[in-house]
Parts: sequence; structure tokens; C-alpha cells
Amino acid sequence: MFELRGVDKRFDAVVALNNASLNVKPGEVHALLGSNGSGKSTMIKILAGLVNPNAGEILIDGSPVEIRNGYDSRKLGIATAFQDLSLIPTMSVRDNILLGNEPKNALGLVDQRASDEIISRLLERFQIDCDPDDYVQTLMPSTQTMLEVAKAVALKPRLLLLDEVTAALHYDEIQVLFSVMRELKEEGIAMVYVTHRMNEVFEVCDRTTIMRSGESVITGPMDDFSLDDIVYYMTGQRPDKSKKDVVHSHSDGGREIVLDVKNLSIFPKVHDISLRAHKGEIVGIGGLQGQGQPELIRAILGAIRYEEGEIIYDGEPSTFKLPSKAVKNGMGFISGERNREAVFPARTVLENILAGKVAKGKTFAYMPAKANRSFAQSAVDKYNIVIGSLNHPASSLSGGNQQKLVVARWIAMQPKLLLLDDPTRGVDIHSRLEIHEILKECANDGMTILISSSESEELLSLCDVIYVFYEGCVSAQLTGENKTPEKLVAAMMGMSEDHEIVSTMEAKA
Amino acid sequence: MNSTQSTLTLGQRSKLFMQNSPARMAFIIAIILYAVTVMISPGSFNASAIGSIVMLTLLLSIASAGQTIVLIGGGMDFGVGAVMSSAAILTTTIMNSQDGRFFPLLFAALSMGATVGLLNGICTVKIGLPPLIVTMAISNVITRMQYVLTQGSPMGYASPSFIKSVTSKLFGLQFLPSIILYGLIIIPLVFYLLNHSRFGKQVYLLGNNPVAARLNGVNINRVQILTYVFSGMFAAFAGMLGAAYMNAARCQIFDEYAYNSLIAVIIGGTSFSGGVGTYTGSIAGSLVMVVLSNLLTAMGLAQPTRNVFMGLIMIVLLILYNREKKVRQ
Repeated sequence: MFELRGVDKRFDAVVALNNASLNVKPGEVHALLGSNGSGKSTMIKILAGLVNPNAGEILIDGSPVEIRNGYDSRKLGIATAFQDLSLIPTMSVRDNILLGNEPKNALGLVDQRASDEIISRLLERFQIDCDPDDYVQTLMPSTQTMLEVAKAVALKPRLLLLDEVTAALHYDEIQVLFSVMRELKEEGIAMVYVTHRMNEVFEVCDRTTIMRSGESVITGPMDDFSLDDIVYYMTGQRPDKSKKDVVHSHSDGGREIVLDVKNLSIFPKVHDISLRAHKGEIVGIGGLQGQGQPELIRAILGAIRYEEGEIIYDGEPSTFKLPSKAVKNGMGFISGERNREAVFPARTVLENILAGKVAKGKTFAYMPAKANRSFAQSAVDKYNIVIGSLNHPASSLSGGNQQKLVVARWIAMQPKLLLLDDPTRGVDIHSRLEIHEILKECANDGMTILISSSESEELLSLCDVIYVFYEGCVSAQLTGENKTPEKLVAAMMGMSEDHEIVSTMEAKA
Repeated sequence: MNSTQSTLTLGQRSKLFMQNSPARMAFIIAIILYAVTVMISPGSFNASAIGSIVMLTLLLSIASAGQTIVLIGGGMDFGVGAVMSSAAILTTTIMNSQDGRFFPLLFAALSMGATVGLLNGICTVKIGLPPLIVTMAISNVITRMQYVLTQGSPMGYASPSFIKSVTSKLFGLQFLPSIILYGLIIIPLVFYLLNHSRFGKQVYLLGNNPVAARLNGVNINRVQILTYVFSGMFAAFAGMLGAAYMNAARCQIFDEYAYNSLIAVIIGGTSFSGGVGTYTGSIAGSLVMVVLSNLLTAMGLAQPTRNVFMGLIMIVLLILYNREKKVRQ
């Protein structure tokens, strides 16, 4: 039995945890739920030894223990699979998994045969298709995530922490993961499972603790909760059924074409893609991870070069060699990879919102402080971004609010064409819906939106047209009545027409 | 918030203060160091001594202006000293004790600084070598050029009126050297560039997260090259003023400013990793450097011993300053 009691954690002025508690029993999968910024990740990090609490105690089987660092955590039988991975990209699969846990022979040297066996058994269990000597950086993101979990399991922990690991996984990999989790449950291992995907929670979890603004609101068996209950405990509000969603009406008759991509090829990911976006249209790009979606978006932005084809933007062939050119001509780009590609963590909230305005215009022009401030303040107010102060660094905000910061940055610029690359990755339901509403409003006002997403529901609810990518080609273009989850999933698997599904199944049989 | 503060120990609180407002902290350190100097040698508390502190602080502040911009943008310029020395030699050679040659000189010196900066910038950005190596290599070339072009002994003196414009006392007051007038032009200019122009804001974004800055539409190569160009120009201007202060010039006369400007900027709270820093901090850091050097002189230490102490104190200051601030990860 693992227990956290009355834990407090502050980051300067920001309270991340406030008298939070958690208890996990052996042989259960415990869902840790909450919006972005509710303190889930901080809880995980405390157990993993990455963050030291300001107050509170940690108990294992009733006796208090101290976790000061990652080593303490490991010694106590806790292993963690992190959302942003703890693998070393330039080391091999084998070395990553065994790091610090190498089997030794009588002489104290690494036992090569034993380690081979550990690795092959582990890769088989997780159905990971790679060579133990492959460098981690050469693997697909989803394979890396599976490895991250496998590595944690290889430590034979008593408590396994899984922090949003399914965010980057494909459907079949998630099923493998769940079956391993069920086996581990039989072995009596306790697991804490953090996710934003509610269907997974009901599928695999036994109990749940729901968090809101750093406090643990309620703990109980999964069966006692409905989806509405969970949303209620996460946000403090019952989902409002009567509230009218922003309706985005779509008609492309005679409207101008803002973006026309013709036969585009980008080596090696994209082959011969054509798509078209009209003014005020929300165009979706679907598909499994790594099918060329990010490359297409970056080519339109001018961030990477393309080999063949043509991009016609706003009536003229676009030859943008740099994103700065594209931005000058009215494009905007919102990345879901917020740490790497979007947020300026050391700069203030104000500067982060202002970044779009900063990028566009005369280099040595005066930017009046007062106007900057009111520009940022109105964005914060309009999009309900939870901040301490405009002068706090962006890193003091929770993930969801950081993402809203990036969205606000570009919406406030009113670009002609807004490109979004998986903008709601790792963003909680609540903030995600808010972002969707904002996008729909913008489209109604005439903004053209091209959005790539790994979430099917997001595309289905948001987009007028969905282009589904499969291995760098468009495998389907779904509009109107064709926009169904079944057709979307089929196209994501590379089956563009019904008869093809049949023929593939026959071939397998 | 108040309750949070009160639960902290004095040590924690002073550490927070140091990390949150390094510029103020540097001013306080400078005042303490000066107080110690006066205690050791009471004779050093006089108007002309203060005047010389003001003079040297402003000189270093102007030399550090570009360094600050470069460092915030995620680079580093080790060529400040060489550019200053070259500009000083240009000053004495072009002026050659003659009045009325200020503007041709200004044009020549700034062009030289800008050219060197452009070279530094292009080599760092386009070739992708570490800035420390690029700027050192280029500054080495410039330093050797000083010897080649002057046969090792530069001629001439700064013009009398230029010397007067830097070293005369305002209102006859010993502690107000007229270099302050130049400071009144340069310092607001730097503040405008860094804090109020689009360029400055782009520099901060670039330094903090270059990948995001690029995808966000900042032309990062151009901005980065411009930071080096400004650094070269500010260093060249500082070299001109330095020549007026020293009257004559010799090769490598201001080379130590490469190191000193870097340390002053870092003491002022600008981060080595880019994206964080202020020019106020750099001015405060310059003051600390000058006062510290004064203190060591007042203690009557020989030059080598002074250098040893200077180095040790710098290491301590850098350790105190460059601790990463704890934030939510």
C-alpha cells in the first residue's frame, strides 16, 4: 500500500499541490484524473523523486519513507514511465533498458547472455518490433513510448507510475499495453495511471482519485463514477447540456481558395499530396502518427523545403523559404509540441502572448508598453487563461494554460491562414473544448484553418473536410455524411474504400 | 503570498532576492565593496576617486552593451576587446591630435565594428560553429592586424577637443566626468533597442527558444547576426572613448575588456544560456568590476595577487548568480 498524505508543493507563488493525498493498493490500476494544472504530474514527480514536497508525508505499508531523489524512489520499488520519456536518444535499446540495472556475472561484469534474454523477453512481451542494438533516436515516437514503459516494467517495481503514456501510442499498441497491465495486476503490482482519455480509464482502471487545483477532491471505485461525474469533480461544474455550442456552418460555393496544395512531395515522408482550403473553412488532417502530417504543415509554413509540387497561397504560388516570410504574409502556426516549438518558458506571460506581434512588422519599430499590456490582458481575459500575473514566466503556468497562451498568441493576430499541428496534445477536456470553440468562432469570422490532429473526435467535431493521411498519401477525403468515426479509422489504417477492407481481410484469411 | 514569504529563512529569502533581482543585488554588492575600500583606505573617499569610478564604469558599460544583447540572444562575443583596441588605434591614427576629424573617425570606427560583428555573426549562424571559438578566432585576426598595420607601434593622439569631451569635469565637479554625456546617448539607445523595440523582443525570444522563435515567424538568423553587429559597433564606440581617456593607444590596449565585459554582463544577471537578462544589470555588473578592482588596489596587493583574488571572487559571484531558478517543469 502506497500512500501520500497532506502533500503541499509550491513553485514560487504558484501552488501546485495543496493538502493532496493518494493511496494505491497492490494489484490495482489507480486512475489519477484532473484538468491540466490540477497537480497530477506533480504527484507523479513526487513519487518519482523529481520534486520534493514542501509538506506532507509518504507512507509505504503504513511506515513513513523519504523520497529525496530518483535513486530513493527506485530503491523503494517505484518505477515511472514519463510522458516526455526518460530514454537516452543516442544509446541503444538494450543499454537504455538495462541502464543502472545490468545483470552481473560472478566477476561483477555485465552478463551478456542474461541481458540478451531479459531484452528479448521484454520486447516480445510488449510486442516491440526493433533490434536491441538500434539507437533509440531512430525509432518511431510510439515505439519509444512503448520502450519507456518496458524499461519501467523491467525494474520489477511494486508501484508503476504511468504518466500519459498513451498520448503517443497507436490503437493496437494501447491494447498490448493494457494486456500487460492486466498481467501486472495479477502479479499484485500497484499502478497509477494518468491520462486524458476517458474511455481508457473505464476500460482498465479499478479506482480513481480526481484532482482539482492541487487538491484531491474524491477517491473511489471506478464503477461509482459516470463520465459526467468525473467532469464534475474535475471542473466543479456539471457539464451544461443546454449551452449552445458555437455552430460552424460550412458552404464552399464560390468562396475563394486560400490554400491550394498540388501534388506535393517531401522526401521521404510525403508523396504527391493535394489538398485545398477555402476561406472560412476548417480543414482537418487525420491519420496515425508519423504519416507526413507535420511535414506538410511545415512545408506550407516554409520551415522545410519540398521537392516537387506547388503550394498556391492566397492566389499566388508561395515560395516562402522561411517561416518569417509566411508569417509576414498572414500565416500563423500553433504547435502542440509546446516545450520545443511554441512556448518561451523563461519569458513572461505577456511576452509569450505578444510573440506573434513581435515576429511581424518593422524590426526597429517602437512597441509601446501600454499597448502591449492591454493586448496581452485582453487575450488572457478573452480566452480564460489562468495566470498569476502577466509578469510571471510562462513556465509557471500549467500545460493546458501554456497551450491556450500559444493559441491566444495567434488568434489575436487574426491570420489569414492558421496552421495547427496537433494543438491539443496533452490538453485536458475542458481546455480542449475551449480551444475548439475559439477555432470555430474564428472560422466563422473568415479565418481559414488547417488542423492536424491525432484525435479522431477532435477532427470529426471540428472540421468541414478531413484529409486522412496514410504513409504520406491521402487515403481518404471525408466530407458531410462521410465524416463518421468508422470511415475515419478505416482510412487511418490505409483502407480507403469499403471493398478494400473486405479484400484486405480476405487476404489475411 | 505574504505567508509564503514569512516561512522562508533569511538565507532562503536573500537567495530568492539575488535570483529575482540580480541587478539590484549587484548594486548592493558594489556599495558594500566600496564601503570596505573606504574603511581600508579612508583617503580613497574623495570626489576625483569617485569620478574615476564613474569614468571606468561607463566605459565598461558601453563596451558591455553589445555583449548584453549578444548573450541574451543566445550567443557570446569574445571579440569586444579586440574591436575596442582597434577602434582606439583608429582614433589616434585618424585624429593625430587634430580637431575636426570626429565624424570621419566615427564613421570609420563604427564601420570597422559593424564589419567585424557581421563576420562574427555570419560565421556563427551560417557555419554553425560555437560562438566562443568563432569570435575568439576572428578577434585574433584583428589583433594581429593591429600589429601588421601599425608595425607594432601606433602613432598619434586623440584630438584635444575629443579628449576634453570625455575627461573634462561637468560644472567643475570632480565626480562628474563628461563621459556621462556620451552615456546619456548610449544608455537610452540600448534600453530602446532591448526593451522597447521589436528587435529587442525578438532577441529575447530567440535566446530563450530558437526553435519556437523560428516557427513563430522570427527571422532568427538575421536577428542573431544583428546582435553581433551591434556588439561590434558598441565596442568600437567604447574603444574611441577609451582612446580619448588614455590619450594615446597601443596594440591590444583594451583586450581585457573581452573578459571584463562578459563577467560584468553575467554578474548583472544575464544568463549564459540566453533569453534572460537586462542592461541595467550589466551597468551594475560593470560597477562591481570597477569597484572590486579599486578595492584590491587599495589593499596594496601586487598586480599578480590582485588577478588571483579577482578570479576567485568572480568564481564565487558566478556560482551565486548562475544557479538555475526553480520553476514548474
